[in-house]
Amino acid sequence: MDGISFSIKIGEIYGLLGPNGAGKTSTLEMLEGLNDIDGGSASIDGLDVSTRTHEVKKIIGVQLQANEYFDRMSLSELLVLFGKLYAQSPNPIELLKRVNLEDKASAKPAELSGGQKQRFSIACALVNDPKVLFLDEPTTGLDPQAKRNLWQLVRDLNDSGMTIVLTTHNMEEAEYLCDRIAIMDQGKIIAEDTPQNLILEHASEPPKAKLHGNIEDVFLALTGHELRD
Amino acid sequence: MITPLQFHLATVFLKIFLRDRQSIVFTLLFPLIFTGVFLFSDGEPDPIKLGLVNQSQSTLAANFSDLVAQEPLFNVTEGGLVELKQELINGDQTALIVIPTNFEDAKEPSKITLLLDAAQVRQADAIAKTLNNSLISIERDIREIEPMFSLEVEDIQARPQRYIDFLLPGILAYMLMNLCIAGSGFNVVEYRRRGILKRLFVTPIQAKDFIVAIILSRMVIILTQISVILGLALMLLNIKIAGSLLSLYGMVILGTFIFLCIGFFLGSLAKTQEAIRPIVALTTFPQLILSGVFFPITSLHELLQPIAQALPLSVVVSGLRGISNDGASLLALNSTALGLVVWMAISFFVAVKYFVWKEVAN
Repeated sequence: MDGISFSIKIGEIYGLLGPNGAGKTSTLEMLEGLNDIDGGSASIDGLDVSTRTHEVKKIIGVQLQANEYFDRMSLSELLVLFGKLYAQSPNPIELLKRVNLEDKASAKPAELSGGQKQRFSIACALVNDPKVLFLDEPTTGLDPQAKRNLWQLVRDLNDSGMTIVLTTHNMEEAEYLCDRIAIMDQGKIIAEDTPQNLILEHASEPPKAKLHGNIEDVFLALTGHELRD
Repeated sequence: MITPLQFHLATVFLKIFLRDRQSIVFTLLFPLIFTGVFLFSDGEPDPIKLGLVNQSQSTLAANFSDLVAQEPLFNVTEGGLVELKQELINGDQTALIVIPTNFEDAKEPSKITLLLDAAQVRQADAIAKTLNNSLISIERDIREIEPMFSLEVEDIQARPQRYIDFLLPGILAYMLMNLCIAGSGFNVVEYRRRGILKRLFVTPIQAKDFIVAIILSRMVIILTQISVILGLALMLLNIKIAGSLLSLYGMVILGTFIFLCIGFFLGSLAKTQEAIRPIVALTTFPQLILSGVFFPITSLHELLQPIAQALPLSVVVSGLRGISNDGASLLALNSTALGLVVWMAISFFVAVKYFVWKEVAN
């Protein structure tokens, strides 16, 4: 990381956008207390991440890129376990309902599809009812149906008052979901604003006739919005 | 001392283990095989296959061959020189003695030939000595003299002690070490590689919670295994345990704690799945040699002895042996108890202090 500085407002969806290797995940992991911050500081809800990591961990929810869990444990057992890690006893079925997986309560993570796995990861991140939710490339590798479904989930969580920080290298996702975006490259933030302002400022020439939708909308219109898990 | 979180996590690890049918089968199979091996070998060497060619017609030769045949160390086959020699070459006989035609009560000493392949026979000395003894007793019979001396071997602790009684505590401790290091070290590397540890440590969990939980769950599994082995050893191998079972289990629990903690440390030391194996081998193998599992530490070179005595496996071996062979109480094992406390402190400290949960470079 190279002298980056940004602040995220309560209740917004903030996107870190950038190509692979830009430093999105490293930035996220510094905020989550997973990576050491060797210069400068970061604070969440008034808590310094470096010195009060333990307290910070209690108020954040994290979905990592690698989402593997203990073998031979069912989804609801894993959610109970994650609850215990925060000294809480959440209702696993309620959590699974929030991510539309209630019928998978006794399934094992290995039996889930990519989209279901991501949604389960988010359910795990919700066990402590976090103030801030971190999502690291939540839709990478998902088919369009699963992707749109996840976007809706993120929107719903944000509507319930949760602050969400996510990384993506999908422009459309950033534009669709984020209230504000920071574009990162080679460890630096090269632009930060709302998607609209960034487009006004940086998009060289607006298209003459506005296109509604793109090829993905065509794909979805033809194949339907139904989830293919 | 144990928090609800640690307890819950321990039940989770136990559940994970109990749902792994294959590992359960092998966990129970292992003690069975282990006991079975001892059941069928029970420490007594197999009799040596000895071919005997009697070319003499004398009663003396007949007496001698009878005496040799009675020797429990030998399994004697009588026959002709040519056929038995061929059997010896084929490896069907271990050694061959030839009583010559002139073997009789003559004035000059008679010669008996012992044929063997010295490269194949580790017991060449023992065979020769036993034959010599048989010859001496025949000679005494002929000359009608009584032996002047007899050697009686008496155990100063006045209890019947077989090699297996000495061996079992050592093997038990060695097995304990292997089970523990596999249970913690290999698990940690695997969980870390898959990013499971990283996910766990995004929550407010602390290294000691994780370590204590694995120790608790493994303790249950290992105590079950040890109980099966002990049960079988007591019933089938007629092993005598001089001390109390309570002391023995106490010792096993302390040993398990030490070796699991060492396993965690090795698991943190190893960056990859490939590295953990040589690291574990490098830690356990020298201890197998040096820690008095098969023979007492006092038979090592003098310079090595203090080092050997300080090894964690030595401490556990001597503790178990003290309880099982000498009837010591866990609390009365002075230097061993000190070694245990020191190793418990060291191993727990390094396990927690150097615990690595972060994902390592791919």
